[in-house]
Amino acid sequence: MSSFASVYGVECRKLLAQTRVRALMVFLLVVPWLYIGLILHQDRLPLETLYGRYLKDTGYATPLAILVYASQWVLPLIAALLAGDVFSSEDQQGTLKTILTRSVGRTAVFWGKLAAVFTFTTIAVVVVAASATVAGIITVGNDPLVDVGGVLRPASTALGLVAASWATVLLPTLAFGAIAMMVSILTRSSVLGVIVPVVLGLVMQLYTFLNAWDTVRHVLLGYTMSAWRGILDSPTYYAPLARGLLVAAVYLVIATSIGFVVFRRRDVAGG
Amino acid sequence: MAAQTTYPAGGEPFAPADEPPVVRARGLVKHYGEIVAVDNVDLAVPAGAVYGLLGPNGAGKTTFMRMLFGLIRPDEGSIELFGRRELAGRVEALEEVAGFVETPRFYPYLSARANLEVLAKLDRRDGAAERIPELLEQVDLSERARSKVREYSYGMVQRLGVAAALMRSPRLLVLDEPTNGLDPAGIRDMRRLIARLASTGITILLSSHNMLEVEETCEHVAIMRRGRIAFDGPMAELRARAEDVEYRLVTNDDARAAGVCRATDGIANVRTDRDGIRFDSRTEPVERLTAELGRMGVGMRQLELPVTALETLFFRLTENDGHSAEDAR
Repeated sequence: MSSFASVYGVECRKLLAQTRVRALMVFLLVVPWLYIGLILHQDRLPLETLYGRYLKDTGYATPLAILVYASQWVLPLIAALLAGDVFSSEDQQGTLKTILTRSVGRTAVFWGKLAAVFTFTTIAVVVVAASATVAGIITVGNDPLVDVGGVLRPASTALGLVAASWATVLLPTLAFGAIAMMVSILTRSSVLGVIVPVVLGLVMQLYTFLNAWDTVRHVLLGYTMSAWRGILDSPTYYAPLARGLLVAAVYLVIATSIGFVVFRRRDVAGG
Repeated sequence: MAAQTTYPAGGEPFAPADEPPVVRARGLVKHYGEIVAVDNVDLAVPAGAVYGLLGPNGAGKTTFMRMLFGLIRPDEGSIELFGRRELAGRVEALEEVAGFVETPRFYPYLSARANLEVLAKLDRRDGAAERIPELLEQVDLSERARSKVREYSYGMVQRLGVAAALMRSPRLLVLDEPTNGLDPAGIRDMRRLIARLASTGITILLSSHNMLEVEETCEHVAIMRRGRIAFDGPMAELRARAEDVEYRLVTNDDARAAGVCRATDGIANVRTDRDGIRFDSRTEPVERLTAELGRMGVGMRQLELPVTALETLFFRLTENDGHSAEDAR
């Protein structure tokens, strides 16, 4: 087994053993059911939310309405909770020196941790998306979906659209994870590792809502997070999505590169 | 052809002459801002030795050990392990090294056993995981193997650190203050464990601020003071230098006794305080002094060595600004 695979396996085991991570997964599994349960037990619908007005008409509106909330702050928060202390917790517990004095180098430790965190972030996104979809279909029904352009899409197509919409937010979510990890390495602080990406996500989202300078708006992760709407329009358009994914990839590469270089070079003097 | 064996003065044989030092540091320097933590340190740890790195807190021992493990980078100089250059971030040179720097640390939310399993996976050595029960038994933690490490006492974590190090079957075992935080029974057990490990032929580099501990355990010692090496050599050589010891004398007439002390050849640095008279001397002048005091009718109530000869030397080497590192060599 390579040293990368060893670190990856160990990191996955450590993440699974943490109560915080298990609680997060349970939370993501349960929240969609609570959400649609509450909606169905009240007369008013969240009309200001995209797909809010269709929540009682089709089960596929549930994952899309939740995606609206998720893309604004939940996904950056998930990424930050999983990635924001993956390095700083080792600093605080003094365990970085423990693993760096075994048969693994810093390069393997970095990429193994990154891969484990990205795996769990992906699982978290899949869990909330799948749970929301299943909750919607079971509680509301497997009905056709009205897309953003007003065209009725059959249930079989709707499932694919929902899956594709959620898939588009995965890359920017991982980019937030990379930012959280970079902050965690630079500051050695778990608090900042979690808070900074969340605040950054909210600021980007706020700027996206403003009718401000488009050039800036287009290079923010908030723009990528809402680019899935093009998939649900009639006719469908992909340009914002393609540009947004490129932007997310750039964020991911830059944050990962900074984290890697700093982690490789820094002194492990604490603990 | 059989390898020639070297013998340290008064010590046991520890390495064939043609075997390179297990650790060789050359011109090692590390700054933390304005502070020079390690200042031009040259050091060679012979294979098979139990080598003590001694010094007061802040002398630079831990910084040296962190550089040895590649946890921090030296500003100048280099370290070779088994003749190979050690580079931060590279694991090849550390393959046959194990140990801990400062307090060993583990994941608090995992059990002792799970922590060792995780480390065994990182080590990727055949049979390491299978040895975990035996290692836990060796450090007397079998009964608490399934307890979370967050429930462990300081001493138990220390023992788990030794088990984690032994799991690598190292040729060089690095232990930073291994008896820190242990109760007297724990200290005794740790010393026995170190002695047992040393008898298997592995090289042990042990840091401590306690002269007695090093004296009891090590056959070779380096004393650090303010980042520099104040002494480096076999323990027997250190002992040979440590004949001039501080004594404390209490009599029924300290004023007269102090005068006798000052008049006795071989007795130096006589000073009096409320606790009696203190002076530095070797054994023979003290014998003459006690005979003279008896002849003069001065009654002796107490004659003692507040610290051992080696401790006296240690304090002189590490506290007295008048003795430079070069003087001590």
